[in-house]
Amino acid sequence: MALTSFWFLIFAAAVVLAYYLTPAKYRWVTLLIASYAFYAVSSIKTLIFMVATTVITFYGGRRLGQINAEHKAYLAEHKSELSRDDKKELKAKVQSRKKVVAVILIFNFGVLAFLKYFRVYITALIPGINLGILIPLGISFYTFQAAAYIIDLYRVKYDADDNIAKFGLFMSFFPQIIQGPIARHDQLATQLYEGHRFEYKNLTYGAQLILWGFFKKLIIADRVAIMVSEVFDNPGDYQGAIVFAALFGYTIQIYADFSGGIDIARGVARTMGIEMSHNFMRPYFADSLSEFWRRWHMSLSFWTRDYIFYPISLSKTFGKLGKDMRSRVGDRVGKLFPVLCAQMATFVVIGIWHGAEFKYVAYGLYNAFIIILGLLLEPQLKAAVEKLHINAESRMWKVFQMLRTLMIVTIGRMFPKAASFTVALSMYASIFKGNGGVPFSEQILQLGLTGIDYCILLGACAVWFVISFYQEKGIKIRDALAEMNIVLRWVILILGVTAVLVAGIYGPGYDAAAFIYRGF
Amino acid sequence: MRETIIEILKDIRSDIDFENATALIDDGQLESLDIVAIVGEFNEEFDVEISVEDLVHENFNTVDAMVELISKAQED
Repeated sequence: MALTSFWFLIFAAAVVLAYYLTPAKYRWVTLLIASYAFYAVSSIKTLIFMVATTVITFYGGRRLGQINAEHKAYLAEHKSELSRDDKKELKAKVQSRKKVVAVILIFNFGVLAFLKYFRVYITALIPGINLGILIPLGISFYTFQAAAYIIDLYRVKYDADDNIAKFGLFMSFFPQIIQGPIARHDQLATQLYEGHRFEYKNLTYGAQLILWGFFKKLIIADRVAIMVSEVFDNPGDYQGAIVFAALFGYTIQIYADFSGGIDIARGVARTMGIEMSHNFMRPYFADSLSEFWRRWHMSLSFWTRDYIFYPISLSKTFGKLGKDMRSRVGDRVGKLFPVLCAQMATFVVIGIWHGAEFKYVAYGLYNAFIIILGLLLEPQLKAAVEKLHINAESRMWKVFQMLRTLMIVTIGRMFPKAASFTVALSMYASIFKGNGGVPFSEQILQLGLTGIDYCILLGACAVWFVISFYQEKGIKIRDALAEMNIVLRWVILILGVTAVLVAGIYGPGYDAAAFIYRGF
Repeated sequence: MRETIIEILKDIRSDIDFENATALIDDGQLESLDIVAIVGEFNEEFDVEISVEDLVHENFNTVDAMVELISKAQED
């Protein structure tokens, strides 16, 4: 079920109704049944994998919780008299915790690696082979979510879940199974398990968010996708500025599609009083690539920050390596060394998360390279800005930084979108080849979109920009709507629904699993 | 100790008013790169071992929280 399909709306409405009809104490059961029903309808053959991960993670978590509790009790009793032998025993306890974590992570990531990545390498080595492997719905999302849970338990952040059915809901919650966000247990679990009282505000705010998601996905994403696909599916037929136009179109498409889907998911959850975490914070307003990654696919970048970046950058081993290097690379770089390694690892993971093909690794490396370069050249860049008498606080400079970042991001997008790494390279090269005799203004109208389509796109993006601009200033749109005169509010909402019904793209790709992030 | 901490913080982010800040992490004023630099300096200056487990919001939202964090780490 695609998030924008008619069936999903019906399903979600039914679930919300059932939720509030169930006694509060058992509302989580309704969610659990709904989530498993959703999974069964979408991906019944692979349900077993999600169940396996759920069960193993749950029992592993319980074991960790047990060891943590024993450890705590032991410390409380013996704190004043810790001898060398006691400290050795404690160390042994830590080892057993590490073993539990290792087993669970290896199993979960092993399954992910086999189903999602192994398949690509085998088919690359043996073309034509059909392994018949299906990718479980949301496997990347729930695997990372389970890993976060286990590592948090290792870090004694909270208590282990004690109810396997409830934990099953945490792992399978249907609004987030399709494309995230990757939730943390201490942020989402309680909300899922406690039955929420009906509040009109939740219903309206949720519905408005769903409408907004539909607006972005059906009017903007699915429309610009037509011209993007035309160029990216036939790279040999296009050269010159049109290729860059398609690339920029993809930058719009992926943002509208992904954030639109997230809005629908969050909106559905909100109608039941559940606040899923944000995944996007107006990323194209970022003034640097680092900042961009704090605003784009936030749940993934926060995951890599907490479970890859911090552990590596704070690791004593890397710190020592950096110190040893100081004589050769200088004090500053020596100190930065663990951070640079951490950034490299982070973005390689982010790259690979998207897929097994080399183009995704290249995407990760592209981001890593730019960020690492920025870190290394920070003093020189600062000096250059001063020398050129640029006022770093001025609005013009901030706008320049945003446009520069947007350009960097757009260029990077070629790697994940092009058919392969080599195709990406040839598409880059083709941008500079001149338009082959056909003027751009003609070419742009031969990609499947009419002049009216472009006007609609422009108009919708303008609305989107204005809304983002106000959000960036701290204004909460739905609060602002709620405070408006009731007639005006309803006019706006009805206009919104009408726009989606009239200007939404309901073409051939509509019901198919053309939802970009669904394969994750 | 408090003065040394503020000195270290100002060295890393001269643009932040640390004395009066109440939500350095929650408000997004300190970013992951800042945290890593801060922890590195704390570990060196106070001879402690602050690790990933200690990287919770509560420990870095205010200067007082950081003072407490380091004091606790010195006891271990």
